[in-house]
Amino acid sequence: MWSFLIATVLLPLPLAVSTWAQESRPPDASRPSGRAVLERIDENLVLDSATGVSEMIIHGRSGTRSIRSRFWKQGADSSFVEYLSPPREAGKKMLKLGDMLWTYAPEPADRIITISGHLLRQSVMGSDLSYEDLLENSRLIEVYDAEVTGEEPVGGRPCWVVRMTSRVDDAAYHSRTVWVDKERWLPLREERYARSGRLLKKTTIEEAQRIGERWYISRATFRDMLSSGEGTEYIVESIEFGAEIPGHIFSKAALRQ
Amino acid sequence: MIRFLLKGIVRDRHRSFFPVLIVTLGVAVTTVMHAFMDGMADEMVRNMARLDSGHVKVVTRGYGEIVSQIPNDLAIRSADSVMAALEARYPGMEWTPRIKFGGLLDFPDSTGETRAQGPAAGFAADLLGEGSGEIARLNLAQSLVRGRLPSSPNEILVSDEFASRLGVEIGGTATLIGSTAYGSMAVHNFRLAGTIRFGIAPLDRNMLIADIADVRYALDMEDMTAEILGFFPTTVYDDGAAELLADDFNGERPSGGPAGLRMLTLRGQGGIGQMLDMARSRSAIIIAVFIVIMSIVLWNTGLMSGIRRYGELGVRLALGESHRHVYGTLIAESILIGIGGTAAGAAIGLAVSYFLQEVGWDISGMMRGSSVMMSNVIRARVTPATWMIGLIPGMAATILGAVFSGSGIFRRETSRLFKELEV
Amino acid sequence: MLVPKLAWRNIVGAGLRTWLNVIVLSLAFVMIIWAQGFVRGMFEYTRHTMIQYEIAGGQFWHPGYDPYDPLTIDEAHGIVPAALQSLAGEGEATAVLVAPGAIYPDGRAQNVLLKGIDPAQTVVEIPTGTLAGGGDGYIPALIGERMARQTGLGEGDWVVVRWRDAGGTFDAADMRIEAVMSTTLASIDQSQVWLPLEQLRGMLRTPGEATFVILGRETPPPAAGGGWIHRDLDYLLSDITAMIRSKYVGMAFFYGLLLFMALIAIFDTQVLAVWRRRKEMGTLMALGMVRSRIIALFTLEGALHGLLAFLAGAIYGIPLLWWTARAGFPLPEIAGEMGFALPERLYPSYGALLVLGTAVLVMIAVTVVSYLPAAKISRLRPTDALRGKMT
Repeated sequence: MWSFLIATVLLPLPLAVSTWAQESRPPDASRPSGRAVLERIDENLVLDSATGVSEMIIHGRSGTRSIRSRFWKQGADSSFVEYLSPPREAGKKMLKLGDMLWTYAPEPADRIITISGHLLRQSVMGSDLSYEDLLENSRLIEVYDAEVTGEEPVGGRPCWVVRMTSRVDDAAYHSRTVWVDKERWLPLREERYARSGRLLKKTTIEEAQRIGERWYISRATFRDMLSSGEGTEYIVESIEFGAEIPGHIFSKAALRQ
Repeated sequence: MIRFLLKGIVRDRHRSFFPVLIVTLGVAVTTVMHAFMDGMADEMVRNMARLDSGHVKVVTRGYGEIVSQIPNDLAIRSADSVMAALEARYPGMEWTPRIKFGGLLDFPDSTGETRAQGPAAGFAADLLGEGSGEIARLNLAQSLVRGRLPSSPNEILVSDEFASRLGVEIGGTATLIGSTAYGSMAVHNFRLAGTIRFGIAPLDRNMLIADIADVRYALDMEDMTAEILGFFPTTVYDDGAAELLADDFNGERPSGGPAGLRMLTLRGQGGIGQMLDMARSRSAIIIAVFIVIMSIVLWNTGLMSGIRRYGELGVRLALGESHRHVYGTLIAESILIGIGGTAAGAAIGLAVSYFLQEVGWDISGMMRGSSVMMSNVIRARVTPATWMIGLIPGMAATILGAVFSGSGIFRRETSRLFKELEV
Repeated sequence: MLVPKLAWRNIVGAGLRTWLNVIVLSLAFVMIIWAQGFVRGMFEYTRHTMIQYEIAGGQFWHPGYDPYDPLTIDEAHGIVPAALQSLAGEGEATAVLVAPGAIYPDGRAQNVLLKGIDPAQTVVEIPTGTLAGGGDGYIPALIGERMARQTGLGEGDWVVVRWRDAGGTFDAADMRIEAVMSTTLASIDQSQVWLPLEQLRGMLRTPGEATFVILGRETPPPAAGGGWIHRDLDYLLSDITAMIRSKYVGMAFFYGLLLFMALIAIFDTQVLAVWRRRKEMGTLMALGMVRSRIIALFTLEGALHGLLAFLAGAIYGIPLLWWTARAGFPLPEIAGEMGFALPERLYPSYGALLVLGTAVLVMIAVTVVSYLPAAKISRLRPTDALRGKMT
């Protein structure tokens, strides 16, 4: 689910894509295992390449601003983002390769900064999430034990409620609850909890769209539940699946180009 | 009669020169001391005003509430128009924007990779703006340790200790990795123009001073400023005037939410007022003690100039002058000495005080490296009280001395006084 | 013995003149001691407060700990070396664990340092006992007055605290402010929250770890090992030592003026004495006293002023200084906000060295000033002197 978040808010990459809808299986009458649900979500993430344009709307103390970016994505581990607007942010780039993260600040700074140590704590573009979140292991199944605890509709769509509990020491969140669309296998709502059980963060999906045989999330809102802010909205303006992405995009050299 | 006494005083060096000299000296020193103490209190206020508080300071309400968190997202927007409005409404005042910020200062090697980095406490002021007095106000020229002051955009100063610890050279690139007012990562290249010393350990650890235009650009704060400091044309802080100004400004803005503007006076910020009161009462104590000591010294002088002349007085008594008359002339003389000495002392004292007020005494040569926090120039302040303060020791003490020593005339036998007339 | 006796008689015989000189000199003397005592009191207070509340007998730092680098704080903790551990067990030391976190008063995140300390510790006088009541249900917290002002939190208030454990997992819980401590030290107050050590260790999942260990005041530093660095008092107090030193320098000007005025009075007296007592000198010479002894006599007379001033100063100065040292001076409470601790009342502190040093300085100055006019005597011819002439 982490990657889903990355998809929606952080590195605006639409990873949460589902093709299962096309099989139009009737929703399982019997409850699937948590593991099965996670596997299905994880499998979605390793879909082939995608590129597109997305917008992030950040509600801060001092007002609202919107950031547009173009993204390229290959598999679960490689992604590249170039910011388009506002002019202030245009030309900034970000590259994620596995568990490494770099940003590039264009001229006049012209510097590539490895995001590590303290910098990982910084917020991405002023949103409620930090760079560190991007380096999270994107395969939920490697991090969490899952259990389907019930079913509940979200936005009129029937969902499985999946409760996940981390089984490694370095998971950013101790537990999560996801509402997964029974039919499309898209996560429609997610809550993340601290070890103490306190709700820390909450994501809601406002809109999902279909391109060809794929479903993808086109509008979501992310909120830090400890602070009184209004959260960050994420909108996919356009997306293209299976595009040819030159391999050199996913390299440090591409940051300076 | 007075002419006679004056002649006597002028012609007898022991009667005139020494007493007048001492009264002069005493009055001058008291006057200078008074002006100096006032100047020191002013200096404290001036330091506070120029570095942090201004005579008045305009911030947003939200910023003012959590100022210790440096919440630059709550900075003043449309800073230029706010500044223009301030300038139009309060002509004669000088307004200047300031921004504080934090970040990582990163020094790259030739390949652009990080060579050294450390957290920096940033301070932005209008260093390069035309007609800006900030470089002088912050005492930067005197605080420079190495290199030079910023003269073109993107040049910065850092504390010398910080630069030495990171082993960076003047002229090198320094990248600020910070956070914009909107929370994005800010990456901005500066060039290290020079290093400075503040004289305050915490600041000397990691201070960074940059021009506000660069910092606005770097932190995405175009046309924004965290604070606008206002300075009266006089260097001396006038609390009443500042209150009036703040009332006028705030009166027009009853609330306005977290983005609403507030004007704070120097006294109204973080308990500075109480500190000033403390400094003032301390200087009052010192002045009082000083005047007491000075008075006793001059009293002693008056006393001695009386004693010195017991012989002469004996002769005068023997010649038939009345005790009362002799005593009267003695006191009249001391008044003349007091007037002369006080006038001369006040003149010298005021001259020195004015000099210290207007020009100042540059002690940078005596200081082992100067700093931003301490002005190198000792300044005095002449107030109406400065004119009067010398009168107490100068007149009162001198006359009192004569009154006491002269009283011996009544107590002693004429013959004994006469005997002291050495031939 | 003749010279001291004569000198004593002469100056006592001079009456009011002498006493005025003595009073002036003693006032200058007492003022200098008082003012220095004031500065010293400030220094002692700060030093004492820091020792009391913060540094006790010195500290051992985790090798990665740099209190001025907030970026490295979350890495700067480790298992407490055995030697320190056993001292802590005996109450001779106490471990402190530091971690960055955030609290959310009114839903606005504020970055803070979480500091864990044993509620039962007695090494520093932070009122950690107030943290003893914490249970599983919540986190008890202790904050200082500045922090309370900064966050708007008060005793009994609840606030959400968020942190990350050693593995990086986010965690958050409710924290209850058990007490707001009154302290003049910003360094244990500003942007800090004190928690029970074991609870913070549990929160961070760092059992047995600490960032630094404070030694008891009487505890000799052990060989800690593990790369932990011993920071002695000189190191920990170096900032305030430097600050106080600069204060001393600033006050030297004031001392100089005071002393200068007093010395003028003595000088004046001496000049007059030498002038008025020519016949006496002539007589002494005629009786066979050598010039050097006469100079000694006059110099001694002048210098006796210093001695008398010392005694006179003692008569009213000792009770006065004693009283100010006991009663103290009220200071505005915000004085402490300016970086180093200042109390509500400042108690001047007068050391023996301070008093003796000042006394010696004054005596030397007075003697020199007394000698200068007396030196004229050496050119005096006895015959002239006897006739009351001065050459």
